[in-house]
Amino acid sequence: MTQTASRTLAERLQEFVGKPYGGPTVARDPVNEPMIRHLTDALGDRNPVYTDESFAKRSVHGGIVAPATSLQVWTMQGLVPRRSDGEDPQSRLMSMVDAEGYVGVVATNCEQIYHRYLRPGDLLTVSSEVESVTGPKTTGLGEGYFITTLQTYRDQSGEVVGEMRFRILKFKPSTPKPKKSDIPPPPRDSAFFWEGVEAGELRIQRCSSCGTLRHPPRPLCWKCRSKEWDFIVASGRGEVYSFVVHHRPEVPGRTHPFAVALVSLAEGTRIVGNVIDVDPSDVRIGMGVELVFADNERGRTLPQWRPAR
Amino acid sequence: MKQGDTHEKVMIEKVDRAMFVRYAGASGDFNPIHWSEDFAKSAGYPTVFAQGMFTAGVLGTFLTDWVGEENVRRFRTRFVGQVWPDEAITCKAEVTSVGEGSAEVKLLVTNEKGEKKIDGDATVIL
Ligand SMILES: [Zn+2]
Repeated sequence: MTQTASRTLAERLQEFVGKPYGGPTVARDPVNEPMIRHLTDALGDRNPVYTDESFAKRSVHGGIVAPATSLQVWTMQGLVPRRSDGEDPQSRLMSMVDAEGYVGVVATNCEQIYHRYLRPGDLLTVSSEVESVTGPKTTGLGEGYFITTLQTYRDQSGEVVGEMRFRILKFKPSTPKPKKSDIPPPPRDSAFFWEGVEAGELRIQRCSSCGTLRHPPRPLCWKCRSKEWDFIVASGRGEVYSFVVHHRPEVPGRTHPFAVALVSLAEGTRIVGNVIDVDPSDVRIGMGVELVFADNERGRTLPQWRPAR
Repeated sequence: MKQGDTHEKVMIEKVDRAMFVRYAGASGDFNPIHWSEDFAKSAGYPTVFAQGMFTAGVLGTFLTDWVGEENVRRFRTRFVGQVWPDEAITCKAEVTSVGEGSAEVKLLVTNEKGEKKIDGDATVIL
């Protein structure tokens, strides 16, 4: 099944090859001396041709230039990414691979070709296309697809000043086997709940002042603001108040699809949990469910729900 | 410059995370995996690590210091391993061929233990 899915994804990804991927995007700012100084500081580059006007004048460049490796810097988006409607090729390609579980990303290769040095005042425009997509391949990080894009940088007169071939690996993170020690100790406010789970009890917090039940555990009563509380042990009877059936994105280690419900307890508050031992498409609002303690995919015992017998 | 010529230099003796923050600000690569300990750990890494293009930029500086910044025409890097705080960045170059007016240079970045971080190559004019 996985193979069919992978082949289908691989085929679908081929449709992006040779087509525009992003842009044309105009740089937010022209090449400028303050950013050149920040860059050379950051890289520890002391070459005065980037920062010293009189030195640069006497060089072959005849004036200050930007370091060649800064080619891709000028068209970066900055701290706040530009909005996308999700319909551009980059968003579509990424959501396509993410949806199949290839959620990891790592840059693997970069090749830059310099046609001329950039000078302060140059305003770059970048456009990119997908050069190749290969995969699925087995890598040290997990199974993945290599996506290679070719960026072309043009100046204000349309002249190509540089090109960059950039390759990333989108991979399915391999799930390490969980250790008991991976499970964090419960915070103070919810320790009673997890002790209950260990004892096979579903414990629900109750306000000592007004008797209101609350879940998940928290320090203060939402109704009367009392900090005093104890708990009851729920009967384990309830009904589905609302639910979702989760198909995508894939959650590592789980079988898809799966149903997650908001369950109204017979005692009167609500709790979120998986609905198991049932075809997810058969889950209905109002359906009677009963409590069962079952391990999740990470080996943690959780209160879960199954159709009432 | 002739075939077989080599050059080697420790460009950074001890990488510190302030370098990643500075490069983030200077390059516009604000991916928090390079500066937020929490984010890096939640993504499964032991701690933050250098932007690939930071290390490539340091390698670029090494190259331009050696051959002259006006002579580099092509620069290719392959990110082999992450560069972690407290590691050294050592750069090596070797001229692999010399042709009509230009030369091909093989490039390598390692840490102080010789573990490979980047390999690459460049075309420089003579
Ligand atoms: Zn109360």
